[in-house]
Amino acid sequence: MAVVFNWQIGRTMSYWYPESRPVRQFAAVFDINKCIACQTCTLACKTTWTSGRGQEYMLWNNVETKPYGCYPLAWDLNLLRLLGPQQWRDGVYAGRTLFEAAPAGERVLGWRPADIDYASPNVGEDDCAGRVDRGAAMTLPHANWFFYLARICNHCTYPACLASCPRGSIYKRPEDGIVLIDQKRCRGYRECVRACPYKKTFFNTLTGTSEKCIGCFPKIENHLQPQCFVNCIGKIRLAGWISTPQAARPENPIDYLVHVRKVALPLFPQFGLEPNVYYIPPIHAPAAFLAQLFGPGVQAAISAYRSAPDDPALAGILELFGCTERLVPRWRIAGQQVTALEEDGREIVHVPLKEPVYIREALDPQRQAVRTNCP
Amino acid sequence: MRPDRLCIVIAVIAGVVVYGCRKRSSPAVVADVLAIAVPRIPLSPDDAAWASAPEHQAALLPQDMVEPRLVSPSTPLLRVRALTDGRRIAFRIAWSDATKDDLTGAAVFSDACAVQLPVAIDTSVPDPQMGQPGRPVEITMWSARWQAETDNPPQSIRDIYPNAAVDHYPFESPALDRESPDRQEMALRYAPARALGNAAAGPRRQPVQDLIAEGPGTIAPNAAGTASGLGRRTSDGWVVVIVRDLPRGLSADRSTHVAFAVWDGARHEVGSRKMRSAWIPLRTGKPHG
Repeated sequence: MAVVFNWQIGRTMSYWYPESRPVRQFAAVFDINKCIACQTCTLACKTTWTSGRGQEYMLWNNVETKPYGCYPLAWDLNLLRLLGPQQWRDGVYAGRTLFEAAPAGERVLGWRPADIDYASPNVGEDDCAGRVDRGAAMTLPHANWFFYLARICNHCTYPACLASCPRGSIYKRPEDGIVLIDQKRCRGYRECVRACPYKKTFFNTLTGTSEKCIGCFPKIENHLQPQCFVNCIGKIRLAGWISTPQAARPENPIDYLVHVRKVALPLFPQFGLEPNVYYIPPIHAPAAFLAQLFGPGVQAAISAYRSAPDDPALAGILELFGCTERLVPRWRIAGQQVTALEEDGREIVHVPLKEPVYIREALDPQRQAVRTNCP
Repeated sequence: MRPDRLCIVIAVIAGVVVYGCRKRSSPAVVADVLAIAVPRIPLSPDDAAWASAPEHQAALLPQDMVEPRLVSPSTPLLRVRALTDGRRIAFRIAWSDATKDDLTGAAVFSDACAVQLPVAIDTSVPDPQMGQPGRPVEITMWSARWQAETDNPPQSIRDIYPNAAVDHYPFESPALDRESPDRQEMALRYAPARALGNAAAGPRRQPVQDLIAEGPGTIAPNAAGTASGLGRRTSDGWVVVIVRDLPRGLSADRSTHVAFAVWDGARHEVGSRKMRSAWIPLRTGKPHG
């Protein structure tokens, strides 16, 4: 075991390999508040990558409803139970990561889902936390809540899948930090399936090898955002590159959201993988639940997000989500215009700080007809 | 001595004599693996030729050197016989296993076994756990799943999950001719391990695979291998025949070593989670006694 630094937990930790950060690290921000669980991202991924025999049950991208949704079944609850209660102290994780909690003979604390655990990807969909049929809807404010959690591989800085593979069949690309399973080398031991806390490695039943989200690397290599990003009709996603906190650049959209404004947070940072998909937490869910998912920065992140209407920079950068298929390495705001830029400063696209509002009157005066909203 | 006690003593002596004679009529259990010369190597584990080979009982221990380790011991021993025709060598490996695990699935694991031999016959042997850098070992692995897929090649997802529903495979679009290269190329695109020629990814014509390794985690296909095999379920476990080339240099007056491993699919044993033997001397020759 090597000792590495994990900035998300604010301390060093044990990992199977020495710290080796890529030249650039692929990263993403998902704004949960805008997700409607239409699953367009899921289908965009499915049709692009996993429509083959042996891949039928795989969802490299899925959207589940929290608190009760989960794919595979109880992927988060099982691991939280295994890990047991842990503590943060002053923003530093005082508990054990999955590497530090590994039992004797194992590289990572993990568990392996059964086949049936993959059979209900929409379990808990739209189920809210409380029981409406028991009168909860009659109280204000409503105690009931749910939100949608879109999930892909986190292309972690310290991947558990990579650490767990006894064959070294999993690697992290030095040029972009995307984590891949070497399809020529994998022998289907499924140690990665067991180890990945997010359960984003999958076993292909036809070939007997494991597969996972590839971050649409052929698109990344062409400076394009992945399929699940560009097909998102809610425009909740932005792909780019993340720096370490010390090297953060405000002109980098991901750095700005994660490091400067701290409005986007990693999923289960306490697991210790330094995941690179960051979530703007939902503003309406209980703080304790969110803190377990996203760590101790949740309240500050929500406060910052709530201030966006009066914060042109934050409101502006949120306008860049879903505005272009190209990766956005830089951005700038000037007056009422937000601009996405290439690394060399060339403009990709510009959008207004505030989308204009058009009001369509209910009565069409020309045709003397009442317009209706079609469901 | 009282007549009744005398009868008992006589009966015991007679029993011992009869038992001893019967044991001598079949090859004894031996301390090493002795490959008996036969004119023809059988692939069937039921072939009468196996009766001429002595049985070695290979004690197994958990793989506990490298993570992930096998924490709890499972299969305690293998019963091994060996035959050679001077060019090839065959191992008949039998072990007890209460469950037949030859299916595939996201969390379904297969029973399996493997034979390991040093590439070079030397006065010392490589590390028993899959060799060491510069001192490779050849491994031939048999899997119950590979056997099932060889016997009955899988046709669809319903072979595994009978009630599975699949809407559409893009490579089965009516616009594509059933046997067209376009269709085959598109199907291959959705099976990346096969597209890259991963020998472990099938489709397979043999239930065994030739491998080579220079230490844990280094196992790779052995392109020079020509092994074949056949496994059958018995009343209490498996019996598997693995046939491979006779190790170069192995002769009546020059021995080598062999090691075995077994995986119990029901216990999710796979990869390094296995029971394995130490190196066992391997000789060719005539039966003892």
